[in-house]
Amino acid sequence: MATMTGVSLSSPRVWFNASGSPQNAHAINFALPLRQAMRPGGIQMGRVTRIRPVRAAPDKISEKVEESIKQAQEACAGDPTSGECVAAWDEVEELSAAASHARDKQKEKDSDPLENYCKDNPETIECKTFDD
Amino acid sequence: MAACTVYSTQSLSTNCSISTPSKTQFSFHQKQVVFYTTGRRNSKRGSNSGRSYVITCAASDQQTVVIGLAADSGCGKSTFMRRLTSVFGGAAEPPKGGNPDSNTLISDTTTVICLDDYHSLDRTGRKEKGVTALDPRANDFDLMYEQVKAIKDGISVEKPIYNHVTGLLDPPELIKPPKILVIEGLHPMFDSRVRDLLDFSIYLDISNEVKFAWKIQRDMAERGHSLESIKASIEARKPDFEAYIDPQKQYADAVIEVLPTQLIPDDNEGKILRVRLIQKEGVKNFSPVYLFDDGSTISWIPCGRKLTCSYPGIKFSYGPDTYYGNEVSIVEMDGQFDRLDELIYVESHLSNLSTKFYGEVTQQMLKHADFPGSNNGTGLFQTIVGLKIRDLYEQIIASRAETPVAAKA
Repeated sequence: MATMTGVSLSSPRVWFNASGSPQNAHAINFALPLRQAMRPGGIQMGRVTRIRPVRAAPDKISEKVEESIKQAQEACAGDPTSGECVAAWDEVEELSAAASHARDKQKEKDSDPLENYCKDNPETIECKTFDD
Repeated sequence: MAACTVYSTQSLSTNCSISTPSKTQFSFHQKQVVFYTTGRRNSKRGSNSGRSYVITCAASDQQTVVIGLAADSGCGKSTFMRRLTSVFGGAAEPPKGGNPDSNTLISDTTTVICLDDYHSLDRTGRKEKGVTALDPRANDFDLMYEQVKAIKDGISVEKPIYNHVTGLLDPPELIKPPKILVIEGLHPMFDSRVRDLLDFSIYLDISNEVKFAWKIQRDMAERGHSLESIKASIEARKPDFEAYIDPQKQYADAVIEVLPTQLIPDDNEGKILRVRLIQKEGVKNFSPVYLFDDGSTISWIPCGRKLTCSYPGIKFSYGPDTYYGNEVSIVEMDGQFDRLDELIYVESHLSNLSTKFYGEVTQQMLKHADFPGSNNGTGLFQTIVGLKIRDLYEQIIASRAETPVAAKA
């Protein structure tokens, strides 16, 4: 361990937990963050583990995504290679990306302020965790 | 002039060089040099009334280092930006008190601007003309060039804001010259004038299979979306993507290529990834990362007696190659990290990482364990590229500090 002095062992407790508690290793296995983080409302990693209900982006933009998909399907009914069709599907992509960003922003807003602070400042005293 | 936001800087140096096209008007206002464009853009932008003013104040000796990041929508630009700004220290946040839909991120050292802000056609305009945002005709490269050039020369600009929610162009926001400017979006390397302003450029090259898997993960929870709609959107955008976005990778100093794994035969889940870091040789202030022996060809499976890995394991390879006629070195990682000691072990076998202390790559990956890709090559190589950019920045600053001394001698 002496060689790892540069590494802040206190930051994300995830990996250590994973090796330390095999009974729930499947839930906090390090293989998870990729999948979980990309799924809206996934498990929050860190100090507090909780499960949020799956939530789509804020309503306004969700409606726009839904609407744009309908429009794209209509626009492409005639000629699927027309500029109109392609532009309509491009709009779907743009709105879907915006919805995803809105979800991320909301998640950040909803999460524990201390958690957020400690993510950027793991070395501060209020963010250190100690093992007895 | 009443609409101008006047922003005063420390010292106005004489090298207030402003290169502008003929349509630009100049006016001198006390200590500030103001140039603004009228007419041309307004007519191009249809209904939008946002007039653009460019307030110019040159900071004497500071020159902004400009980084370009190109990738398609939904291919991990935001995650990469969060990793990059984290390497520089401090969190990057939207401009305080500004438009809540601003696409800009600002930290102590770095400002990230989104090139969608240079759309010349808003959502309605694109729909009417039947062009996508990927199409150069939907983007104002003249303004992009003028403004990036101005910032690079230490001059603040009033940059438009493309609102991704409404699809309209919002009133502009003031961008002050940062130490490092990142321009991210669909076309940072498309226009040769903009390309020439870049001190370093990165392209995120996501294979079709992985793109599909990522978009399913992103969109399936969204109402109205289905596998069909996700596929249709990718397919419809493909011709423009291949014509205008993909070719930019030939200009990139570093390409991060994301492919399905080869460790599991016929895997198409897109969960385990094979990621290649393609690094151009001979780029100023950038010396590529290597495995064991610079310039040799190596295949390495770190899992064995010293390190136990779970299925399907981890495989690295490294070697020289050519990419679009350029000499490159490629580091490749297939598989994923399941435990901390695997990452530490891998980091200790990579050379030329430009870390400031042992374990810095691992620390960065741990710090953002909740970001997508923190357990595979995408996170690893994004972090490494972040470290290389920090190193490049420090070299540029150091060489500037030396120049006056050399001139005297």
